[in-house]
Amino acid sequence: MAAEQPAPFSHPVEAEFARILDFYGIPWQYEPRTFVLESDAQGTVLEAFTPDFYLPDQYLYVELTTMQPNQIRHKNRKLRRLRELHPEVSIKLFKRGDIRSLMLKFGVEDYPDMMTNRL
Amino acid sequence: MDNTLPASAGPPASALTQGVGRVLLSEAEIRERITVLAQEISRDYAGRNPLLVGVLKGVIFFMSDLLHAITVPATVDFMAISRYDGGRNKGAVRLIKDLDDAVEGRHLIFVEDIIDTGLTLNYLLRILRARGPASLEVCTLFNKPDHRLIDIPLKYCGFDLPDRFVVGYGLDYKEGYRHLPYLAELRPETLQITPR
Repeated sequence: MAAEQPAPFSHPVEAEFARILDFYGIPWQYEPRTFVLESDAQGTVLEAFTPDFYLPDQYLYVELTTMQPNQIRHKNRKLRRLRELHPEVSIKLFKRGDIRSLMLKFGVEDYPDMMTNRL
Repeated sequence: MDNTLPASAGPPASALTQGVGRVLLSEAEIRERITVLAQEISRDYAGRNPLLVGVLKGVIFFMSDLLHAITVPATVDFMAISRYDGGRNKGAVRLIKDLDDAVEGRHLIFVEDIIDTGLTLNYLLRILRARGPASLEVCTLFNKPDHRLIDIPLKYCGFDLPDRFVVGYGLDYKEGYRHLPYLAELRPETLQITPR
């Protein structure tokens, strides 16, 4: 059974990441900004991207994904587009393997349960 | 006199290295790099009597070898902090062992075995800066920049590491493998976690 996550998070990995940041006293915001990646002539948003976390003291956005490496092409493309449109924005993508390393490092023993939900 | 350890002194070498995979850095490569770092520190801190500060426990091997190789007067002290417990208990990181002496006006070199996210280092540097040292620099043997969340300038850096889970030379997995004199990957099957 996948681990539960408290609101406002949509995935247990996000909740764990927030707890780690809290433990070390790092301020964070959850999904504070949506970046429009593509819109039509009428201004209707066709594609957007909302990074999971923003660390205001580091001016850094963080995106977490537990998808398998062969499934993140879409997310990589969005990140590339974001960097093209907003080169001033600093964003870091934590992929499945990165999250695994992070959870191992911080002794989160039930991380395999968290990885079963797609993020 | 027979200095041979009895068989009960510890597990055989094969058990001590069980689960260890490819060696990324040999003992000789690590020692050679530490010698270079020590030369740079000795040059930069001549006449400044630096205080080398480490955070327990992983740094003890690096600290020991670094101190041996530094050729100017230097002193050493250690801190220890509570570890994140996988979210089992609420709370914040805290010092569980502070430095023995005041550091105001001292030239500090914070010595780390590895810097990954930078969260631990950031916490400790904040504490040390607030105590008014004359200078504060960071020396790390291993650096994993891919996971960095806090940007921290590194004055002395031994090796940049790829994004792999590594052990040895002070780095542990569940408190094991620190004793290895080299840096190695763990085999994937070793990283199996027992769900709680």
